[in-house]
Amino acid sequence: MSRSAPIVGGRGPGPAMLEPRRKRRAFTTALCMSLLLGLLGAVPAHAEVPTQNEVETALTCQCGCGLTVHSCNHVNCGSALPLKKEIGEQIVEGRSLSEILSHFENKYGEVVLSAPTTRGFNLAAWVMPFVVLGVGSLIVGVVLARWRGATNGGDRANMSSASSAEPSGDPELRARLERELRERDT
Amino acid sequence: MSEIGRLAVVLGFIVAIWGAAASLLGALRRDKSLVTSGTHAAYAFSALTGIAVLALLQLLLARDFNVEYVASYSSSTLPLWYTIAALWGGMKGSLLWWTFILAVCNTVVQVQNRRKNRDQMPYVTATLLVTGAFFLSLLVFITDPFERLPFTPTEGSDLNPLLQNYWMTIHPPSLYIGFVSTTVPFAFAIAALATGKLGDAWIRTTRRWALFSWFFLSLGNLFGAAWAYVVLGWGGYWAWDPVENAAFMPWLTSSAYLHSVMIQEKKDMLKVWNMVLVILTFALTIFGTFLTRSGVISSVHSFTQSGLGPFFLVFLGFVLVISLALLFWRLPLLKSKNELESVFSREATFLLNNLLFVAIAFTVFWGTVFPVLSEWVRGVKITVGPPFFNQVNAPLGLALMCLMGIGPIIAWRRASWSSLKRAFALPVFIGVATGVVALGFGAGNFYAIVAFSIAAFALATVFTEFWKGMRVRQTMMGEAPWVALSRLIGKNRRRYGGYIVHVAMVMIFVGIVASSIFKIEIQTGIEVGQSVEIGGYTVRFDGVEDESSEHVEIRKAKLAVFEDGEQLGFVHPEKRFYKKPQQPTTEVAIWSTIGADLYTVLGTYDTASKVGVFQLFLNPMISWMWIGGFVMFLGTVVCMWPSYTERTAAAAARIPAGSSTAS
Repeated sequence: MSRSAPIVGGRGPGPAMLEPRRKRRAFTTALCMSLLLGLLGAVPAHAEVPTQNEVETALTCQCGCGLTVHSCNHVNCGSALPLKKEIGEQIVEGRSLSEILSHFENKYGEVVLSAPTTRGFNLAAWVMPFVVLGVGSLIVGVVLARWRGATNGGDRANMSSASSAEPSGDPELRARLERELRERDT
Repeated sequence: MSEIGRLAVVLGFIVAIWGAAASLLGALRRDKSLVTSGTHAAYAFSALTGIAVLALLQLLLARDFNVEYVASYSSSTLPLWYTIAALWGGMKGSLLWWTFILAVCNTVVQVQNRRKNRDQMPYVTATLLVTGAFFLSLLVFITDPFERLPFTPTEGSDLNPLLQNYWMTIHPPSLYIGFVSTTVPFAFAIAALATGKLGDAWIRTTRRWALFSWFFLSLGNLFGAAWAYVVLGWGGYWAWDPVENAAFMPWLTSSAYLHSVMIQEKKDMLKVWNMVLVILTFALTIFGTFLTRSGVISSVHSFTQSGLGPFFLVFLGFVLVISLALLFWRLPLLKSKNELESVFSREATFLLNNLLFVAIAFTVFWGTVFPVLSEWVRGVKITVGPPFFNQVNAPLGLALMCLMGIGPIIAWRRASWSSLKRAFALPVFIGVATGVVALGFGAGNFYAIVAFSIAAFALATVFTEFWKGMRVRQTMMGEAPWVALSRLIGKNRRRYGGYIVHVAMVMIFVGIVASSIFKIEIQTGIEVGQSVEIGGYTVRFDGVEDESSEHVEIRKAKLAVFEDGEQLGFVHPEKRFYKKPQQPTTEVAIWSTIGADLYTVLGTYDTASKVGVFQLFLNPMISWMWIGGFVMFLGTVVCMWPSYTERTAAAAARIPAGSSTAS
């Protein structure tokens, strides 16, 4: 029998068996997509023509304030002011954001960048939150599937009564309020 | 007085050790006298810690500069309020303050449970006292707040000028109360694990404590943001500094717990997960305390570097090992019902909500410790600052806000397509309409439009709930609208109080989004009599005034604020020079409205040219954050207020048995 036998005419697994598999595949695809989108959204995009603010925000002031060059609160800061001046010069020279950041990284070290680079070990900083989110999503997905399985395998009568008691908006609200109104009113 | 304080700390430490040991032994041997002794020790620990705090306070007020702590954090000219605030202004005092709040919590717990939870109480007492003993051990063996100097300085070094702000008297106590009170749910969780009584009793007992600690963590974070906003002078309120992150992480896990515990109460599910969240929240408060005191991560907020780091790490390890071992041991008893009819249900929404809270908490943790990891692994110092946290957390925060809208109106167990359509049609319409309106008003930023739409959607779901409930009461009971609304809330305070807190969160969210994306800022020199434009405002520089006291010299600028040609008033940004630490500071001045804050900072002033250099910011909707704080307070009070049933039960419990026949 061909391994790729069509799933028709009673051959191969039936639709009921396929359903969970499809759902799993759809879930995995959705998860991968969300991870990818998340990463794309998270990893800093380097614009071609940066503004002064963009560059100032991407660099950390070295005066010890712990803020970005843009946010440094010292008006006559010995670190922020020269950096701002240098940033302006770099922009005037027509350099891109990544070129300007490389310039400052070479001059002051990685510590001057206000976010980790996306190279080597630093990539872990960006990727790990989404790996955790992805693993967490998988765990939640598996847990939900198991719980649903437990419900489906349980007492059908209970389930049907639960379904018939579906709390759908107003009826649920009405029932709850009726219950509360029965309580004493003081 | 320092001797009394020192003696109180040493005795408190001994008593705490004894109390913990007696409580544990008493529980294990079922020896009532030992348990009672442990309880008495718990009260004694509280009293002794109280005496130690009073002793340090008296030393500060008496300006006894022979005491190293007093000389380091106060001066003879320091105003009274800041002298009191110096109690938690330095590391030694802050550790004593931490212990004092724990002592107060401990006393309340002992009184609340003197006639209930008797099986669990020895373990609760032991957990609280072990924690107390750890903090006191630091004060006894490592960093003594009552240490005397070999000489008496004529003057103290004064409190750091940045701390001389009214928020210093409000923010640290709020945050400490939030941090420390997480010990109570943790202690009850440990007691439940130890006794094997893993039903809902410990959750019911600690429900208000969990809410209480969450509320104070929220206030602590919000007050910290407000303090940074008015003191640091950079026009913002949150810089993702490691110490800010340390306060934010337990808030996130605590928020996750407040949601997931509802599933356990209603559906008998997530028992293990709730235990994990309670343990994690407590562990994160210890981790936060470690971060600020170890010097392992540089932060403008942290105390001076000390050798306390390893002790905190050991205690943190001890907490995690003991609690996780107990949890693992009790896993068979923590089996839940674990049934789910549909992924379109409130249970599933709450699971996703928990996932996002924990993912954000992990992101904050990861970003905070990554510089240390980088230094270990590569030997290279790096910075993980706002761009990282904003880019990673922004999409997660948006998703969380979206779930906040979905959660309240999706049904428990199973939501059908028709019920979903019925429940969500109006809120979704309002969300989309808000996006369109925002676009129409020129909010061209994609993130802002999405954020405002989601916020409007979340707000609409809450108001829909209130509206529907009120209408049903009006129809069924013939009540007037306000009567129906107040009784609706009164009958289910927890539910509707929670919704009010959601409204607060939406307000804070909108404030954050608007002030981050639409901020305008300029730095410019203005000659006296000249004006500049920012946003819709005109700001005219009217000159400077100088003031001097024995404590501080002040240069105050006078800026007239105009809108559409009409003068609204004046703001007075200042440069201060504190004489004792010889340190200049900046005092911002803010013209605040519901729409935007005009935030002014005086940089320099040249008397010859009469030109002042100013930083001016227009921060849209930032006051929504602070108003959101008040709404959150309101919602939390509604949640925590005892119901009629609880009040009558408490009153009945106070009436001694047989008193009805006596009269």
